[in-house]
Amino acid sequence: MENNLEGSGERKLQCSDVSKCFQLLESILDGANIPDSQEILKSKLAKCQPCFEHYHLEQAIKEVLKNKCTKHEVPSELVANIRQKIEEIK
Amino acid sequence: MSEVQRKKYTEQEKNRIFDEEFMPHIDSMYNFGYRLTFDEDDAKDLVQDTYLKAYRFINSFEQGTNAKAWLFRILKNSFINDYRKKSKQPAKVDYQEVETYYNSEDVDYKMTSDLRVDSLKDMLGDEISNALNSLAVDFRTVIILCDLEGFTYEEMAKILDIPIGTVRSRLHRARNLLKDKLRSYAQNMGYKTDEEE
Ligand SMILES: [Zn+2]
Repeated sequence: MENNLEGSGERKLQCSDVSKCFQLLESILDGANIPDSQEILKSKLAKCQPCFEHYHLEQAIKEVLKNKCTKHEVPSELVANIRQKIEEIK
Repeated sequence: MSEVQRKKYTEQEKNRIFDEEFMPHIDSMYNFGYRLTFDEDDAKDLVQDTYLKAYRFINSFEQGTNAKAWLFRILKNSFINDYRKKSKQPAKVDYQEVETYYNSEDVDYKMTSDLRVDSLKDMLGDEISNALNSLAVDFRTVIILCDLEGFTYEEMAKILDIPIGTVRSRLHRARNLLKDKLRSYAQNMGYKTDEEE
């Protein structure tokens, strides 16, 4: 991602439509099915500093959430309990 | 669970679906249950109830559709209909209240560049987890579904029984609230934010 930094001096500092841009960026980040999303993303990030910063912040938060908030160990007896109950209602 | 029981699977098919399509999601289901209730026993009950319902209503599950989304929808409904009613500690914010308050799709997208990516990287798991847990249940739920579990907006709309536009706007609000929390943690950790500069 650091490669995107090249030419950062050319990025405009004001986003022309923050609402529309950020919504689109978040949709792409969330894997929405948008035609040509990778091209759109590339050009937005290359041209607009607010878009660039927003995208990278959202991406970092998403990653950190996924890595730090999904490691709850399932209590060992839970699966056995479920299977036992299922046998009872069969 | 009001779906009509369209077709009957054989016992063998039922067991196969249950073992191969339902059980592999138990980690995600337990994590969801735990993040809704903050209690190990309640989470276990919720997950167990969900799997029993899933088995009982297995004929309304269409093979080839997303089993994980189907299970999450059952768990979320059990949480609202069963758990929330008998819960001794009602949540701080009433579900319905949040619904009407925040369902507007008119959301402000604004700059929040005062939280830095590098400050996030240094945060401990507990800080991230606490920030997520501090959100009202509706906001917490969309972040869990989207960011932790990778559901699409369409799947989230089905799981939550809300329009896609509402999914989108609720998610955006949730993320803003989460960023507020993370920003205050970052400040406590001594990171400069734009507000102080
Ligand atoms: Zn922009």
